[in-house]
Amino acid sequence: MAAYARERSGDLEAFERIMSECERRVLRVALRLLNHPQDAQDAAQEVFLRLYKHLGSIDQARGYEAWLYRVTVNVCHDMARVRRRSVPLDELPEPAAAAGDAASDAARAEQRELIRRGLSCLGGKERAALVLRDVEGLSTREVAAILGSSEQTVRSQISTARLKLRDFTIRLMRRRS
Amino acid sequence: MSCTKFENQIALYVGGDLPAAQASRVASHLAGCAGCRALAEELRAGLALLGELGDDPLEEAMLESVHRRVLAQAASPARPPRRLYWGLAFAAALLLAAILAWPRHPARHTPAPLARVVPPAPRTVPVDSVKLVPVRRRVARRHHRHAPAAEPGPPLLVQFVTDDPNIVIYWLIDRKTQGD
Repeated sequence: MAAYARERSGDLEAFERIMSECERRVLRVALRLLNHPQDAQDAAQEVFLRLYKHLGSIDQARGYEAWLYRVTVNVCHDMARVRRRSVPLDELPEPAAAAGDAASDAARAEQRELIRRGLSCLGGKERAALVLRDVEGLSTREVAAILGSSEQTVRSQISTARLKLRDFTIRLMRRRS
Repeated sequence: MSCTKFENQIALYVGGDLPAAQASRVASHLAGCAGCRALAEELRAGLALLGELGDDPLEEAMLESVHRRVLAQAASPARPPRRLYWGLAFAAALLLAAILAWPRHPARHTPAPLARVVPPAPRTVPVDSVKLVPVRRRVARRHHRHAPAAEPGPPLLVQFVTDDPNIVIYWLIDRKTQGD
């Protein structure tokens, strides 16, 4: 029993170390995929509990990163399907206008907000591919391995998502002006 | 190739996701097409903003909350997985069903043990005693066109008697005309 407790506490230490290294990334991806802070926290919690459960069976030579990204995408996908919190495009409130000419930072923040909203209007697979490629900066090959798709499919999803996002931001900007 | 067909390639080109040969084709198209250059610029601006999302400072309170909740659950004593509960419930249900289905009235008549029968040794017959008989060919009547249709009889009642004297099964069979 004492050996079991020791092993468990050793596991817990290793787990906490990995979690500290990766929690920002996992939470960030969950936030971008779900666009809802509370859901993102729930998703991150689920991801790390799964990591703790499968700690011994994960191939350490390949690292935890790809495993964590894959599980995060799957957990967020399931959560989005069950909770269905995505807001239709026409129901989105317009972002607040930047105050004055000098507020370039505010204008930039406003554009980022537009992009965030645009992400939530993409389909699940396109959003996951775009977040992993353009927000997380992974290569197309890495994204394909995480999503379990071919590189060709991921390229197609990325190009479609980039064009949709550009159309979305232009439409919203035009509506404002 | 028209500009519309270039759009997807331009979307990949701005992110450096095209192989060299295709990238040079897109670059030469962009050099001569102002509309596609504008599209490429808009896409580049979008990519820059997406990259900035990765640098967004996450609220420390969110991270702290996740960290605390996960460690609290991970450190708690291990519980048997939910699947085990379902498995136990299923096994209990099977056991209960087996007990209920078990016959309450065992067979009244125990069958007598079978007597061992030793087959007699085969008898050899001399070849001379076998007579060869010509085979008559049977001719089957194929046409029943003029045969009168038989009247269907009354329904047949079949009674099944079970081990339980309280349960008797009746089966009513509707007789039909043969050849229909």
